[in-house]
Amino acid sequence: MTSGRLQKLNLFGGIITVFTLICAIIWAFPIYWGIVSSLKPEDEVVRPYIELWPETLTFDHYWFALTETQIGRWYINSIVTALGVTVLTVSTSMFAGYAISQLRFPFRRTLYWLILASFMVPTQVLIINHFVLVANMGLLNSWAGIILPQLIHPVVIIVYKQFFDQVPKDFREAAAMDNASEFGTLFKVYMPMNWGVTTALAIVSFIWSWNAFLWPFLAVTKNEMMTITVGITQVSDAFGVYYARQLAAAVLAGFPVAFAYLLFQRRVTTAITLSAGIKG
Amino acid sequence: MADISLQNISKSFGAVEVISGLSLDVHSGEFVVFLGPSGSGKSTVLRMIAGLESIDSGTLLIGGKVSQDLAPGQRNVAMVFQNYALYPHMTVRENMAFGLKNIRLAPDEIKRRVEEAAHVLEIGALLDRKPAQLSGGQRQRVAIGRAIVKEPAAFLFDEPLSNLDAALRVRTRVELAELHQRMKSTMIYVTHDQTEAMTLGDRIVILNNCKIEQIGTPLEVYNTPATKFVASFIGSPAMNFLSGTTSQGKTGANFVTSDGLTLETNIALSNFGAFELGIRPEAIRLTDAADGLPARVRVVERLGDRTLVYAVLPDGTQIVAQDSGRSHVQTGDKVHLIFDPSQVVLFDAEGKAHHS
Repeated sequence: MTSGRLQKLNLFGGIITVFTLICAIIWAFPIYWGIVSSLKPEDEVVRPYIELWPETLTFDHYWFALTETQIGRWYINSIVTALGVTVLTVSTSMFAGYAISQLRFPFRRTLYWLILASFMVPTQVLIINHFVLVANMGLLNSWAGIILPQLIHPVVIIVYKQFFDQVPKDFREAAAMDNASEFGTLFKVYMPMNWGVTTALAIVSFIWSWNAFLWPFLAVTKNEMMTITVGITQVSDAFGVYYARQLAAAVLAGFPVAFAYLLFQRRVTTAITLSAGIKG
Repeated sequence: MADISLQNISKSFGAVEVISGLSLDVHSGEFVVFLGPSGSGKSTVLRMIAGLESIDSGTLLIGGKVSQDLAPGQRNVAMVFQNYALYPHMTVRENMAFGLKNIRLAPDEIKRRVEEAAHVLEIGALLDRKPAQLSGGQRQRVAIGRAIVKEPAAFLFDEPLSNLDAALRVRTRVELAELHQRMKSTMIYVTHDQTEAMTLGDRIVILNNCKIEQIGTPLEVYNTPATKFVASFIGSPAMNFLSGTTSQGKTGANFVTSDGLTLETNIALSNFGAFELGIRPEAIRLTDAADGLPARVRVVERLGDRTLVYAVLPDGTQIVAQDSGRSHVQTGDKVHLIFDPSQVVLFDAEGKAHHS
């Protein structure tokens, strides 16, 4: 390669790096701004010009969010509902993915196409039906009411199906020769061979559910049953909105997810790649 | 008593009938090899015995018990897969014990069987390793061990040596033969490698186009092939074939080559006409004398213990003859080929063999 071409490549690489950096700053700035604002006194927050660093650093809003609101209760609600959604979504999708991939039964392909087709229906379209159903079942303001409508994740089924498709059929046959039942084959052969995808899917399901706002907002009216995402809308009083308090609550709400991202960064990336690669 | 008996077994994949009316008895303690080219149906038959393919019609008896409707795990047979199919997340011990745990055998008995099999196969030191930490040959042994611990009525092997390198294949082949002698168990072995079939099998079942061409001992299928397919499939280099016609001779049929040369045989035929003559390379003698078929040497392969001489007859037919290791034949030489009449086979238009 000539030095001229190398220089061209370096220049191109430099431009790309600068462009990426600008995009990253644009993307990250609101997060930075939110955190910084949550550490300012309220009068500093509402000043009409941009101050990149607080004049007076304060943790009062965090103290308020932690002591004067039901944030502990909201955390519990979020943890319970997000774990519930994760466990149920992953386990039902695992069974469905295995059945579609490995078992032969009438209308198997039709079922698969139905699952694929359900991609085309946005959850928001069904939200009134969900509300009426859950209300009729008497499950509003309950954990079950928050969890049930969030269990529809066709993408998890399809990712499982694709992974089970890739397991060589020899293993299934070896398990059959070893007298393993279908459950035995799934739990002792297929699942252990696909733990990576299961953990990845569990993490993204947890994050999806933790971040869910619209449905929990509709399904819950009682303060003590709110999830954290809904709860942070309540950090205001009769005198109006306190931005710094609200941002402090938002930072607290986002903290577990950010922590999960940091802890399982690679698995999350894998899961996002897997689910984004699926086309309906 | 037959340990495994297939009676009029048929199998179709959609509209295509792949096995039609196949019957076969495998005796207790026998090592039977299914031999045939790709697509001959040999693996399908094995998988039907194992229960991995359904049987459309006919009866399968394993140990005298009607078994065609039983699940694979309930047929009391064990299978060694071509790719071993060892569960990658389990240790060798867990792999071997998996089938036994599924039938809820007592832990002490599982431990005893696993250790006994490990001792027989000399894999005791590997029991706590995962398959990824094993070499190809070691994996092969574990796969066999997984079958042994089940103490099955029969072992089914689906081309188990095809993933090993040449040297290891030969060694494992010998070990398999030893294992069979020691265990005296019924074994069915699928391969497309005739050397494996000849060296391992008590009997060989030769399949072609999903039909049995011949069942016999290795020497029977080699010396008295039932069909032209068997004659051409068994033996390396393959049997030579010459086209011609037959007529009644003094001691049997006379075979007349397309060049008009007559070869006397002592094969009794009821019908005469267009036939093919088959002769193995080692049944052809090379001579400088003017009797026999004249031929010109095209290629000489010196293998040390023997020499393979590729010669061409005047009509263009290529003949392979086997000469001694110290043969002086050179490429381009004019030689004469003398066929041993006792080892000549005649094949009629349907490919059926006629022997002396």
